[in-house]
Order: sequence, then structure tokens, then C-alpha cells
Amino acid sequence: MAVDITLLFRASVKTVKTRNKALGVAVGGGVDGNRDELYRRSPRPKGDFSSRAREVISHIGKLRDFLLEHRKDYINAHSHILSEYGRMTDAERDQIDQDAQTFMRTCSEAIQQLRNQAHKETHSQQVREHRSAVLDFTQDYLKRVCKLYSEQRAIRVKRVVDKKRLSKLEPEAAAKTREPGSEDVSLDPSPAGEKPVAEEHAEKVPAEAQPELGSWGDGKGEDELSPEEIQMFEQENQRLIGEMNSLFDEVRQIEGKVVEISRLQEIFTEKVLQQEAEIDSIHQLVVGATENIKEGNEDIREAIKNNAGFRVWVLFFLVMCSFSLLFLDWYDS
Amino acid sequence: MVGAKMATASIRERQTVALKRMLNFNVPHVKNSTGEPVWKVLIYDRFGQDIISPLLSVKELRDMGITLHLLLHSDRDPIPDVPAVYFVMPTEENIDRMCQDLRNQLYESYYLNFISAISRSKLEDIANAALAANAVPQVAKVFDQYLNFITLEDDMFVLCNQNKELVSYRAINRPDITDTEMETVMDTIVDSLFCFFVTLGAVPIIRCSRGTAAEMVAVKLDKKLRENLRDARNSLFTGDTLGAGQFSFQRPLLVLVDRNIDLATPLHHTWTYQALVHDVLDFHLNRVNLEESSGLENTPAGARPKRKNKKSYDLTPVDKFWQKHKGSPFPEVAESVQQELESYRAQEDEVKRLKSIMGLEGEDEGAISMLSDNTAKLTSAVSSLPELLEKKRLIDLHTNVATAVLEHIKARKLDVYFEYEEKIMSKTTLDKSLLDIISDPDAGTPEDKMRLFLIYYISAHQAPSEADLEQYKKALTDAGCNLNPLQYIKQWKAFAKMASAPASYGNTTTKPMGLFSRVMNTGSQFVMEGVKNLVLKQQNLPVTRILDNLMEMKSNPAIVFVVGGGNYIEYQNLIDYIKGKPGKHILYGCSELFNATQFVKQLSQLGQK
Repeated sequence: MAVDITLLFRASVKTVKTRNKALGVAVGGGVDGNRDELYRRSPRPKGDFSSRAREVISHIGKLRDFLLEHRKDYINAHSHILSEYGRMTDAERDQIDQDAQTFMRTCSEAIQQLRNQAHKETHSQQVREHRSAVLDFTQDYLKRVCKLYSEQRAIRVKRVVDKKRLSKLEPEAAAKTREPGSEDVSLDPSPAGEKPVAEEHAEKVPAEAQPELGSWGDGKGEDELSPEEIQMFEQENQRLIGEMNSLFDEVRQIEGKVVEISRLQEIFTEKVLQQEAEIDSIHQLVVGATENIKEGNEDIREAIKNNAGFRVWVLFFLVMCSFSLLFLDWYDS
Repeated sequence: MVGAKMATASIRERQTVALKRMLNFNVPHVKNSTGEPVWKVLIYDRFGQDIISPLLSVKELRDMGITLHLLLHSDRDPIPDVPAVYFVMPTEENIDRMCQDLRNQLYESYYLNFISAISRSKLEDIANAALAANAVPQVAKVFDQYLNFITLEDDMFVLCNQNKELVSYRAINRPDITDTEMETVMDTIVDSLFCFFVTLGAVPIIRCSRGTAAEMVAVKLDKKLRENLRDARNSLFTGDTLGAGQFSFQRPLLVLVDRNIDLATPLHHTWTYQALVHDVLDFHLNRVNLEESSGLENTPAGARPKRKNKKSYDLTPVDKFWQKHKGSPFPEVAESVQQELESYRAQEDEVKRLKSIMGLEGEDEGAISMLSDNTAKLTSAVSSLPELLEKKRLIDLHTNVATAVLEHIKARKLDVYFEYEEKIMSKTTLDKSLLDIISDPDAGTPEDKMRLFLIYYISAHQAPSEADLEQYKKALTDAGCNLNPLQYIKQWKAFAKMASAPASYGNTTTKPMGLFSRVMNTGSQFVMEGVKNLVLKQQNLPVTRILDNLMEMKSNPAIVFVVGGGNYIEYQNLIDYIKGKPGKHILYGCSELFNATQFVKQLSQLGQK
């Protein structure tokens, strides 16, 4: 177990102070102390980077608090059911969405700016590493808070789509099937996208409901329905229930699949974005490599030329030497 | 509840928790997913580095908010406005450097953590420097961490790595050691052991063998523990450490043994995976360094010679294959790697097959129903991708390591040595004469032969006759060995005979010879032709037997500590022993960890004097 000796340390500081006083050494070292003070007051690049980073972080913190505060109200599904407080109209929700998005955009821009600035300022390697790590942390934090926001939003969108589907199923005549169906459906969060299937089934049902209405309309005149007709209606009801149930099952299955697909999409987009960065860097490398090879070729050509030139000079020198030898020989004879 | 959690925490977890708390400015660490990032800089010395590196990876450090980690004695630039956490030993030079940092105002605030307790005078030095630099308010916290030991496994620890010369076998046993030097060595060992028990949170019952260095350590440790307990106010063992530990009901048993009771085990050739890696490759602090030659193509004339790649791998607790197989005999390891590879390939094929099925999308009606299955399959495939990649990395790692080990085995015929030594140590009849093996030119390096002979010499009841000895010596020198270790062993043996009967190494009952068979393992990629498929007998080493006698019927958790150095063979033996007895815990520790090569070097240095 670690032992906190901070108090011991402070006590030692006091001891040293009193000892120094007793020995007559000025505490804080007189001139040196002043120099230190001045030294410190001289503009160290103290606040600039880190205070800005801290500002960004506090902004993100505010956003997070804001989202968490209104979260309950936001996702309250039964807000159409009257409650005293905590009702949130859709307009308010839209407002929150807008604000959150602009906020997040400004934050990420601020982080990007800080990053560029940090790159430009040439400091030592360590400071640069430290700054980029700090920016990574900040970006991470922003991502986490954004996740909060997107979760909320996804739930809200699901409920909206869900409501839309309910309102489509409303004009069905089969009153009994509507209640269990809508209750079940409203309990499961249903995603967007199964509309085409739902719609065509929804259309089929009203189409089927029409003849029923028609038959009811016709049979309205009679007060009593003959037993055969009752039986027929019973059978039809049963059939309709069966159809609704199977419909409902299919729809649920498809919902599940679509949820999975959307999750997969998310994962894939993430991966693709990552790969984009990597491909960019590979592209840079390749471009650099082709440049290098071109330069290399140039250099080789130069070298060949120089080699050739050198040979020419050597030949020339040899020929001159042999001529001069001949000349001397002729001169001498 | 923290109490319940700590009850089953191993020493590794405890040390990791302590480190994480320290990194969190000494406030208990709570994982908060939407917490604000806090950043800090970590400064350590070499001791701190050795302690942290087996426990926390760089990624984990990042997760704790550490942007930079630097050595104390490197050039460091001022990074304003950032708190710095120091984790150093309280030595003179470290303190000087810290005072320099304070004067140069490198960081915004300083959290000083000392690996073992700092003395009052050094604390005043720091206070002095802080006053002079007018930086007293910047020193935010000062802590004594009591973490002066290195945990390598859940139940194995080592005292030191940096200064192991100081507490090595040689340092303790050399004839010309003075009393003061011995005192320093003992103090270092006791300090680390004390830190260990503080972290464990328990006061042990100490047992040691008489008349050895272990006894000195025991006496000192006892004194230190008593002093600390007596001062009830400041005792490190009261409060919620006591009673919340694994050992809350019983005090653990600390068995201190000296290396001298068993010199043969460190020289022994081994056959289990972890011990082999330690013996044959460059392995410290859970990191193995391999040199790979990059290909056997002919280099074109005039080109630079191909550089050998150096690769290093970390063998961590997260590596499931390693945890499962570190104690298995090597052929088993080879097979398991093959199996893992097969299962990985099967999974990979499944994922690839999905790709082709996806291509059928929208072509026929049947595809729709297939599609619904396949979305589920696809989701599971995608979510299992990171796992799959991790598995591949581990398989690659172990393939490389095992191949390197196998090369050594084949080159040096380590299986032959292992078998022979087992026979010597268990005193069964030998089918090949020792002289044959020693004079065999392509079985092993000279060092292997030396080891074999030393083991023979140590475990022989009577010393071989002079003539025999001369013969052996000649054979050894012909093979190129240095005879210094033999000198030392002779002295040791004489001394040991005086002191007590030499320890026997195994049961004298003869086990059936059928256990050793020359089965060639042809099915695996690791073609172990000519390498025997040896099966390990369960046989207790002297250290294990001492522990067995002491533990008897009680199930106190036990800690075995070897003064003078230990190795993985003993550790593995203890683990195997404990496997058969559920409900007992054993921790193994040693003052330094050496493999046979290093030990032989120490012996030869001792023999020279």
C-alpha cells in the first residue's frame, strides 16, 4: 500500500526554511529568487495551446451535460400522453438536434485548427508528441459524446417511423387485430426501411377490408345474421387473424435483419474511412517513390555522360602525349 | 466491493492496481466512459521501467491519459502546463536530477512516487531544491509506493533486473566478500521482500534453512517486519490492507531457500516451452528478442549484405495460447500451434465463403431466404474479425518463436541432453556413457557439455575417481570448454558434504523405460525428425520437496523465495506440483532470474578466484 508522505515533505520544507533562516541564507535566495520570478513571468508559451485545448474540452463537457440533462425528456415515447412536466414537442427536439450538431461541428473544427497550429509551430519532438496525444484524447472525448447524441437520435427516428406505420394501419376495419398489433409494434422499436413491405401489406389489408365493409354495408339492413353467415364471418376473421400474425412475424424478422444491416453499414463505413486515410498515405508514398526514381534516372544519365566525357579526355590526353613524343623524337633526331 | 475483489487478486493484479492508482494521481481509478480526458507525463528511471513494462502496455498507458513516457536521465524539454508523475528509486543521482528538473521548471506540477521508501535526509534535499526554485506549491504529492519488485506472472516475481549483479549468486557466494558488502546485498533483498509483503498486505510466517544466506535474509526481514508492526500508528499492515487480502484468514508461509541446496536445476536442459524459450532465446521481462535472417537468396555481387531482422515479441497474460502452453512439453506446443493454425484457416475460409454467397444476391428467389441467414452470419463474421486478426498475430508469433527454439534444439541436440540429465538426476541406469556424449562433436555446444558434466558431478554420490576425472577433463577441454566452473563446484561439493547430505533429485524407483520413445512427429509442420518425442515425468525438484514437507496438511498460501537466483524450471515444477492439490496457492520468487548460460558464467567467475 502506498504511503502518502506529502505531509512529511511539507514538514521537511519548513525545517529547511527554518534551518536556512538560522544559517542566514536568504529564503528563496534573494536575487536568485527575483530572477526566478522574472524568469517565470517571461512569456512561456504556457497558456496558449493547453488553455485552448482545455476550453474545447469544457465546451464538449457542456454539450455532454446538456444532452444528458434532456435525455429523459427527449426519448420519452409517450409524450403524447399528458404529463405535467417533461413534455417535449417535436420542435424542441429538432432544436436540440440542430444545436447539438452545430456545437459538434464547431468543436471538431476547433480541434482541427489546434492540430494545424501545433504542426506549424516547430517545437521539440517531445512537445509535439505530447500535443498530438492531447488532441487525440480530445477527439476521442468528442466522439464519445457524439455517440450519446446519435444513440438518442436513432431512438427518436425509430419512434417517428413507428408512429408513421401505426397511422398507416389505422384505417383497417379489423379493429381487434389493430389493438394487439399496434401495441406490440409500439413496444418494439421498429426501424425505418421496411416501409415498402409494410406498405404493400398495409395496402392489401385495406383492400381486403373494403369488401368486408361492403358486406357489412349490405348486411346492415338485416338485423340478424343467419348462422351460416356468422360462421362465414367467423372463418374470415380467423383467416384475417392468421394473416395478420404471419405478416407481423415476417415484419419483425425483417426489422431484425435491417437493424443488423444498418449496424454492418456503420462498421463498414468506419473501416472504409480508416482505409481512406491509409490509402492516402500510400498514395503519397508512391508519388514520392516515383519522384525518387525519376531523379535517380537523371543522376544515372549524368553519370554516364560524365563517364563518357571523362573517357574522351583521357583519349585526347593519350593522343596528345603520343604526338608530343613523336614530335620530340623527330626534333631530337 | 473492493474487499471481495481483492480477496482473489493475484500479485500481478495488485501491483497493476497500485500502479494505475499512482498514475491516476493516487486516487483510486474508476473507469468512466464519458469522463473528461486528463493528460499527464510519466517519468521513470530504469527500475521503474522494469517494473511497469511487464504489467502495462503502451496502449494501457495511453488509456490512463499518459501522453509521454520518458526516462529520468534523458534530455527532457519543458512542457508547460502539464502534470508530471515521477516513479523512481530514491537514489542520489535520481534525486539530483529531480532537483534539477524543479529548478528548470519543466512541468506544471509534480507528483513524486518513490519505488521504495525514501530517507528523511533525501526528502530534505528535495525540499531544499524546491524552496530554492520557489516551486514548493508545484510539488503536489509525494508518495512511497513500496513496489520494489518485478512481477512477471500471476504468481511469480523477481527482485530486480537492473542491478542484478549486486544480488547475483556470485555476489553472495564469492569468497572475498566483506561483511559490509554482504550487509548491502542483504539490505537490498530485504527491502524488496518487505515491499512485496506490503503490497500483498500480509505478514508472513518465515521458514528458512539454517546457516545459509537465506537465514540472514530471514532474520533481517523478521526484524524489519516487527519494527513496522510495533509502530501501530504508522504500520503498513493495518487498516483495510489487512483482512482484505487473499490471506485474510491465514498468514502466508514464506519459505526462504538458498540456491546452494540445488545447483543442478539451473544447469538442467529443459523441455517445457517457457523454460526453453528462456534457456535458448533472449528472453527477459516477458519479452523475447529474435533475430531472423531475411531469406536465403543469393545476394548479388556488390550489394550490401542482407541485414538480419530483429524482432521482439511480448508474451503477455492476454496471450491465451501462451498461458495455456507455457508449461507444456515442446512437441505438444508444436502440435497445438498446428491445430490453432487449422482452426484459424477454417474460420478464414468461412468468412471468404460468405463473400461468394453475397454475390448471388438478387439473382434468384432462393437468395432472399439465404440472405436472411447470411445477414446474421455476416454480422457475426464482421464482429469476429478483430478476434480473428488477433488470433492470426498470436499464431504468427508463436510459430516464429517455436521455429527458432526448434532450430536450436536440432542444432544442439537438446533432447539428447535432456533425456540424459533426467536419467542422471533420477539415478536410473545410464545407457550411454558420459564420455561418449562429451566427445561427440556434433551434439551441442561446449557449454551444453559442461552443463551435463556438472550435473553429473553434482548428483553423483561419490566423486568419480581421479583417473576418471582426468579423462573427463581432457574430453571437456578437447571439446572446448572452460574448466573454471568445475573448480567452483568441487569446492561447493566439499562444503556441502560437510554441511549435510546432498539432496537427492528424484525417486529412486525405476519408472518404466517406455516413457521415452523415439517417435518421430512427422505430421506437423515442425518436422521433428530425429528429435525424440519425450514425455516429462512428474518428478519433484528439491525446492518442491522442501515446500511439500513444510506445507503438510495446512493449506496456508505459500511463497517460495530462492536467495541467489531462480529459474523457470523450478517455477514450472511448483506449478505442476500445485495442480494436483486444489485449494493451495503458491507464489514463486527469486532474487534474480538467470538461465543456464548466465549461471555457468557466474560459476566460472567464481571458479577463477
